[in-house]
Amino acid sequence: MEHEKGSALRDLLIELPGCEKVDMCFSCGTCVSRCPIQQKVEPAYNPRRLLKMVASDMKQESFSSITPYLCSACDLCYTACPQEIHISAVLNGVKQLAIETGFTTPLKTAKVDAQTCVGCGFCEKVCPYQAITLKETNVPLRGKNLLIAEVDAGKCMACGTCSSICRSNSIELQDRENSEEVLDSIWSWFETAEKGIEK
Amino acid sequence: MVDAARHPNIDVRTYTNVERVEGYVGNFKVQLREKARYVRADRCNGCGECSKACPIEVPNYFEMNLAPRKAAYVPMNQAIPLRYTIDEDACIHCYKCVDACGSLEAIDFSQEDKFVWEDIGSIIVATGFNHFDPSVIPEYGYSRYPNVITAMEMERLNNSAGPTTGNLIRPSDGKNPERLAIINCVGSRDKRFNPWCSNFCCMYAIKNAVLLKQANPALEISIYYMDIRTPSKGYEEFYDRARSMGIRFIQGRPSLITEDPQTKNLFVHSEDITLGKISELEYDMVMLNQAAVPQPDVDTVSSVLNITQSPGGWFMEYHPKLRPVDSPTDGIFLAGACQGLKDIPSSVSSGLATASRASRILHSDEWEIEPIIAQVWEDRCVMADGKICGVCSRACPYGAIIIEEGKAASITVAKCHGCGGCVAECPHNAITQMHFTDAQVLAQMRALLAEKPEEKIFAFRCHWCSYGGADLAGTSHFDYSANERGIRVMCSARMDPDLIYEAYRLGAGAVLYSGCHPQDCHYITGQKVGATRADRLQKIFEKLEMTPGRFRVEWISAAEGDKYARVINELQNVIDSIPHDQLMQEIERLRPEMEKRSRRMYEIPGIAKAVEYSDEMKRVITAKEVKSGA
Repeated sequence: MEHEKGSALRDLLIELPGCEKVDMCFSCGTCVSRCPIQQKVEPAYNPRRLLKMVASDMKQESFSSITPYLCSACDLCYTACPQEIHISAVLNGVKQLAIETGFTTPLKTAKVDAQTCVGCGFCEKVCPYQAITLKETNVPLRGKNLLIAEVDAGKCMACGTCSSICRSNSIELQDRENSEEVLDSIWSWFETAEKGIEK
Repeated sequence: MVDAARHPNIDVRTYTNVERVEGYVGNFKVQLREKARYVRADRCNGCGECSKACPIEVPNYFEMNLAPRKAAYVPMNQAIPLRYTIDEDACIHCYKCVDACGSLEAIDFSQEDKFVWEDIGSIIVATGFNHFDPSVIPEYGYSRYPNVITAMEMERLNNSAGPTTGNLIRPSDGKNPERLAIINCVGSRDKRFNPWCSNFCCMYAIKNAVLLKQANPALEISIYYMDIRTPSKGYEEFYDRARSMGIRFIQGRPSLITEDPQTKNLFVHSEDITLGKISELEYDMVMLNQAAVPQPDVDTVSSVLNITQSPGGWFMEYHPKLRPVDSPTDGIFLAGACQGLKDIPSSVSSGLATASRASRILHSDEWEIEPIIAQVWEDRCVMADGKICGVCSRACPYGAIIIEEGKAASITVAKCHGCGGCVAECPHNAITQMHFTDAQVLAQMRALLAEKPEEKIFAFRCHWCSYGGADLAGTSHFDYSANERGIRVMCSARMDPDLIYEAYRLGAGAVLYSGCHPQDCHYITGQKVGATRADRLQKIFEKLEMTPGRFRVEWISAAEGDKYARVINELQNVIDSIPHDQLMQEIERLRPEMEKRSRRMYEIPGIAKAVEYSDEMKRVITAKEVKSGA
């Protein structure tokens, strides 16, 4: 008889747009060797393994893996995949399901300091992932309630744009204590890049 | 090949095309086009003086364009027959070859293509396969990077009769490579290009690696693979031998090859999936093991020979398991990779099988055919009255029906396979099919729909697929409605609209019209004839405002027992969803219309017998039901 639809991760995923071919992966590794994130950002990032985990119905592991959250949807793997699997869509689907199940991102995200935030809304406008919304608090201010920014951890990609635009220094990436550290890391990156150019 | 050419009973015709094929099994008439060689084959002795004198050089296709040949040439030294040919496209007509040939006077520029007709008993198609061009995969850089070569180029470089006399060199600088990568599945097992596995490349990669390693043990060889497939006798042992010789196997499909512009060395980027790590290794040379694809002219060949193709462009066999070397047309056989990719042992076996199948025809004076052929009632055919019709001839997948003005249609019995398409299509009921006459089919219908027809699901099943599907549903114990009553006809093309109207006239609750999937049809295009008719019927029933779902068209293969059961259950749901009196009302409302549409069937000679048959059948069925009920 036909396969009964169940609550396996694969069954949930296959309903989502772009995830129709999730079963087709034969683990050739083309996606991983094509991926700029795997090579330049995070060696633990591995879409092939995530697809394998989906196939083996490893829900906990897939939902807490960093792979779905780090994908930038550049789709270099999609054009190279011999089985024509839309891998970024599958990763996005896993992320959606993870957030629906109550998992949060294992990555660092932007955090708002509610004490200093003035609710100007600049960060909301600049966020490329639409992860920031303004939320009303019960603190009265000039006849209205005070608004403060709130970050949706599921959408935040920790790019730091909000942090750089904030005039009151109230939004920071989680594990960066102050922006000087960020600046330092940027300078050190420039220095290595310069050295590379001189070479 | 030399043995074949010398055999007294074998006539090798090279440089010749098959232009037309007429006739039928044992009596084919084949038109051949003997292309002009501009060299008289009866005078040429193969000395090669013309080639030496020729000033024109063009790339030699046989050497994978790695070496030149002259405009007066033989493709290779072992060519059969050893007769030179002048390449008219390249020739500049300097006539130096004429002088070089001297007193033999073999060169004749006045030659033209010759057309000859030959009587042929049986035909074997062995057109083989072609190679996939990897330059369409940009990431592997073939044709951009000089040191990326294909498997066939490697074959020539590694051949002692090849352009380098077997010395493996890098095309960029002529040095011997020290590190070689072999990449498998280039263009095969890849939905973007060819979805199939090319069958022999794994073994082919290992063979090349072993040969190269034997010639030069210092050469480092890595084979990139997705899966190594070694299914035949001795193959796995050969794979073991390759590993024990120090050939490296890396599991992972390379995604990119980059080149060092100075040294022209290559970097292969892949994920070693067993380690889960990215590897970026440097090689002097990369060999792409490209996919095998059908020949570019398969469409011409199939239209000339009237044989079909399965998906991908391989010629379709009569039956994939039981008659793998027969084509759907009697007397035409398929050998080797043109039917589906095969390695050398399988190609040889299929070649020997076709030879024995073909010689059966050559050695018999009579040929038995299936008895289910179509027959024309000449007095009923309107063509005999000078009218223009020809519907039957258009429906015939085998071109077996000959239409001449002023004469009744006539069927070439040897070509008829008994699909029954013409029988159902004939608007004047002038054709019948032996063993599936309208009277016989009608009798079965009347018997099966004798009692409580409104509860019954009447299924027309095609012999090859849907009947098998229904059978499988039964043997697999899939539950489906007990109200199903099915009959077998040879093809969905035989499912006459008259019979379907008759089923509704008799009061059937629902009718299933089922046959093979389009690509599986055993009668070449029979399913297409059936499908077009089914579309037409569906529109008619829509116009008559029949409840949607009471007429169902489904293509069910012999492997889809579950689908058959599901479809029958869905039809049962349709019947259950209509209140009984409403269903009866609808049946009564449509009955006069159905009667009008099926009335011509009762003009068919011998149809009266149907009543007689059906009474007999009813008796048998009732006896059975009583028995099983008890």
